[in-house]
Order: sequence, then C-alpha cells, then structure tokens
Amino acid sequence: MNIITKLFIVTGITFTSQNALSQSVDFTIEGIQSSKGKIYVQLFDSESGYKTGKAAFANIVKAKQGNVTITFNDLDAGEYGIRYFHDENNNGELETNLFGLPTEGYGYSNNAKANFGPVDFTTMRFSIADVAVKNNSTVTY
Amino acid sequence: MERRQLLKSLIAAPLATVGLSSFGSLANVLVEKPTENKNKLLVNAKHNFNQALETNQHLIGFSNIESDFSVQKMTIEGKLPEDIKGTFYRNGPAKHERDDKRYLHLFEGDGMVHSFNFDNGQIHHQGRFVQTPKFKHEQQANKFLYSGPDSRLDDGLSVSNADMINTANTNVISVGDELWALWEGGSPTALTPDTLKTKQQVNLGLNSKYGDKLKGLAFSAHPKIEANGDIWNFGLAPSGHIALFHLNAKGHTKNVGLVNAQYRGAMLHDFLITHKHILLILPSLKADPQIDGYFARIKSDQTQAMRVLVIDKQSLKLQKEFELEPGFAFHFGNAWEEGDGTIHFDASLYPDVTVLHELSKVMQGATQNPNTQSQTALFTLKPNGTSTKHLVEGDSEFPRIYDHLVGQRNRLLFTLSATDSQIWSDTVSCLNVETGKKDRFVYGDDYLVEEHISVSPTGKEGEGYLIGTALHVPSKRTCLNIFNANNLSSGPICRAWLPYHIPLGFHGNFNMS
Repeated sequence: MNIITKLFIVTGITFTSQNALSQSVDFTIEGIQSSKGKIYVQLFDSESGYKTGKAAFANIVKAKQGNVTITFNDLDAGEYGIRYFHDENNNGELETNLFGLPTEGYGYSNNAKANFGPVDFTTMRFSIADVAVKNNSTVTY
Repeated sequence: MERRQLLKSLIAAPLATVGLSSFGSLANVLVEKPTENKNKLLVNAKHNFNQALETNQHLIGFSNIESDFSVQKMTIEGKLPEDIKGTFYRNGPAKHERDDKRYLHLFEGDGMVHSFNFDNGQIHHQGRFVQTPKFKHEQQANKFLYSGPDSRLDDGLSVSNADMINTANTNVISVGDELWALWEGGSPTALTPDTLKTKQQVNLGLNSKYGDKLKGLAFSAHPKIEANGDIWNFGLAPSGHIALFHLNAKGHTKNVGLVNAQYRGAMLHDFLITHKHILLILPSLKADPQIDGYFARIKSDQTQAMRVLVIDKQSLKLQKEFELEPGFAFHFGNAWEEGDGTIHFDASLYPDVTVLHELSKVMQGATQNPNTQSQTALFTLKPNGTSTKHLVEGDSEFPRIYDHLVGQRNRLLFTLSATDSQIWSDTVSCLNVETGKKDRFVYGDDYLVEEHISVSPTGKEGEGYLIGTALHVPSKRTCLNIFNANNLSSGPICRAWLPYHIPLGFHGNFNMS
C-alpha cells in the first residue's frame, strides 16, 4: 500500500466510528512561529520504518501560528513515533543549509530533541493500547 | 498530482539526519555517552584550578571573569605615537566558570570582546561579553545549561544546532559598520563597534542568492582579508567537506563553494590565501570515536601526511594537492605565490597535537607550557608537485604579518614564544623570512604575553608599530604595549596600563579610523 492510499485511509477513517480494537493519538504541535505554509507529519510504527523513512501514515495540515493538533485514528496497539516539519516557504521540502542541517522548523513526538546528533526511535516512541493517547512537541526552529 | 509530489517530498525529507551536521564536526563526537558523574569532573576542575591559583599566580590569566569591564582610561607610560588612530579589538574566552563548575578546556569559555580606543592622546578600554543565545540563557539561569565540546553535563539541555552553543570567543574583525565576533563552529556574531553591544548572529546568505542555505554554517575564526577588503574564509563540516566563502568588504556573500576534502581530523583552525589560490592545510589528525569529548578525542596520526589543498579563488574548485610530512598547526602567517606558480607559506608547526590537550590541563591547574613545541616552518610548494620545508630555530605561535600583505609577498613575520615562562608566551619576535634575522623582546616571566599585531599608518612593511597586550602577574594588571616595528629589542616605546587584569584571549585586529 503506498503512502497516498494510506493517507486517504487515514482521512476517511476520521469520519467513521471508532473500532474497539484500535485507538487514536492526538498529537499537538506547539510554538508554531507563523501561519505560513503547511506542516508535514509522519507517523512511524517501527524503528526500521523510521530509519528508512517509510511512514505508516502521513498527513499535511495548514500551518497556524501557535498550536495545531493532528489526530491519527484507527491505530493498532503498538509503539509509534512521529516527526514533522514546518514547510514555511510552501515548497514541499524541508529546507536545509549547505551542510544538510534544517533551516525550517521540525520536531518529534515526546518533544524529543536532536542533541548533538539525530533523535533515535527509542526517544520519540510512545505506546498505544486500549485508550486514546495525547502527545505533544514544540517546534525547533 | 501536486499532492502526490508533496507526499513524495515528505517521504524524502531528511529529518532522520537532523542534528548530524553543521556542528563543525561536533555531531558524532558529542553524542552523549553513559559516562557517570560528568558534572563531578567540572566541579573538580573548579576546585583544582582555584586551589592551584593560590600557589601559582601565573594561572590568573585563565581565571574566571564575572562581568563586563566598563570604559576605563588607561595610564600611559612613555609617549603615545600620534599617528596611531583607531581601535584595537581583541576576543577570547572569559566565562570559564558558573555555579560550582568550571569548563575543562580553554576553548570552551564564553567570548568577551575588548576594545582599546586610541583618541586624542589617550587610550580607553572596555570589555563586554558577547551576548550569544547561550550566554544569555546561562547568565539568566546562573549555571551552565549546555554541555560544551569537552565539558559534559549530566543534565544538559539538548543542542540541535551549533549556534545554540556558539561562544563567539576566538577572533574579532571589522566588517562594514559592524564587528564580527568569530567562533569556528558556527555563525559570526555581529556587534556594534563603539559600544561592543551584541546585535545578532549573522546569516551569511542574507541578501544574496544563497538565502538560508548558509544559515548556521561553520565560519572559521581566521578569515583572510585582502587589501581590497574582500573577505575569504572556510568552514569545516562533520562530513569532512569544507565550505569556502568569498565575501565583500561589507560582509555580503559573493561566492560559496564546497570541497569534499574527506578530512577526518575534526579540527581545522586556520587557512591561507595567495593572490590566486586558497590553501587548506589539513593537519595529520584523526578523531578517536572511543574517547568522549570533542577535543579530547583528537589525536595525531603520524602515518598520515599533512595535506595541502590548493583551490582556485575564482571557481572555488580544487586544483592541486600536496602531501607534506606529518604535523599539526593551529596557525599560519601568510602565503604568496610566484609567477611560475611556486607557493610559499609559513606555519607555527607542531610535531603533534599534544598542545591541544595541554590547554585542557592548564584549565585544571596544571602548568606545563603548551607553546614550547611549535616552530616557524617555511614551506615551498613547487609546480612540479614537490615541496621543501625549512624550520626556524626557536618556538613560535600566533604568527602575524602586515595586514596589507595578506596573500602577497611578505618579508616580516611577527610571532610569540616562551623564553622563561612555563605557562604561556613571554617573548615577541620579528623574523625576516628572507634573511633569517630575528629581532625580539623578552618581556620575562612576570608577563603573560598575547598576540601582537602590526599597525602601519604608512601602509609599508617594516614601518609603523607592533602592538599587543600582556598581563603583568605580580601587579595583576594588563598593559597594552607599543613597539617600533623595526626595533623590538629596544622594548616598548609606550605602555598603557589598566588598573586590573583582563583574561588571556586569542586574536584581535586594529581598525584604523
């Protein structure tokens, strides 16, 4: 299943009733500095998916200064991690400098922060069992 | 289709590599390791240093500074030359301690910029901490918040880009109507020249075709400024690539290049230019990933040549490479090029990188002289790919030439050395690199002598003055010394005193008014 299909499934499920065997995560992104552009969000269901950049689900929302909450529904019990970036110039890419470091805002679930190196999945992961969960992150610009 | 493209871009987003770069090699080095009681090392360092300071007053140059120095008229001995008009700016680490902790390495402290303003027969000094984001956060918290390159905290805040821990502590240059306080792992920090107040970190691509592509890049503390005002510099990436910068005199970026130097030494402090080429001189270093600490892990590799990359200034492309005997240098004085392409340059050359680690020991109260191993080395790179090296007897560091000759043929080279001092430099010298004649003045063991620079009102080599600061240990005062550049051995013709000492710094420059 490609990512496009998955995205539409996520969107569709938003309007359906909750499955008793699945749950949702409300992910709040805080500290968005402007309403310019969009926020690209990826949800990973495994470390290998994170390392290879293969998201289980993805979403794109309009940026809004302050906070934005994105909901991923119908998630099976398990461990997940989220990363995102604020595409302020609206070109569909995370801008980086000549050395490859982001020059647009980004962040991770659990408010995990890159610290002299990349964030690993262990730091960003959270569990989903039988209740809805909330998670949050402040954008690093 | 548009949405599909957006999603493809999303998947390709390089977020997985966030934090891997732009740290001037800090990235892979500073990944926190499960070392126990990291804080305790810093607490012990403060205790050990201050205990050693009680019995060895020479350590005063490395002691902590609490606050800015307000404008102070200096007391002048001798006759102040009337033709020196302008301001001498210097930079160096000054905030070494907070709360119960002390940094482990001399290179870690927050920068303080000093100005010595020559006006109306008087000299006034002031010194201000550079108000970097790091300095402001830690000043407010009254404690260290971030791990440094070697000094790790058990509970340090996360560092997602180098400018978060930019200390702006190494050099200061005049650019347009600003001063730029320089580090080597991140952006320049702009200051207001007359007040030394901090403006902001400089986004080098601003108002250029590069936009944010240069934001946060490493920009070394040793830019070379040509006689026409053009500024050349480099920045080391953790990948071993080296960025090359060409700015105009106002600091606007004209051209930027990236060379894949495949350099694994983790530290590159200085470079050189001729009128046609950039020289990247890569010392024989390797970084040992098993050792914690950015500086601590840098080791000499005697199996590795000291490489010289010769890069065309117009295209910023690699043209030629030379391999020299293994060695290490922080600093180079100058390079110049003959009509047939023969290149000459000098280095304050160490056989190995021991000096780097001595600069950590002195911060913890040990008093070996870290400067005694370097010698002036005069290299010639020939068009046929061969090279020669001539070592000048005696030690040397902080090499400087007349500013207007950067990249052009120079005959005089000013350096510092240690004659009696066991801890720092105490002698200033002028070497004629053509005749080998050396003129020098020994301040003596009572002084901790800092970089001296030429000030030539006539713009001619051999004329004008050599000026530099020295900390007089017995009286705990710093003085600014002015020599006739052509007669150092007679001693300073004028000396201006502060009623107190300022911390030992690294580099500075004179801005003529």
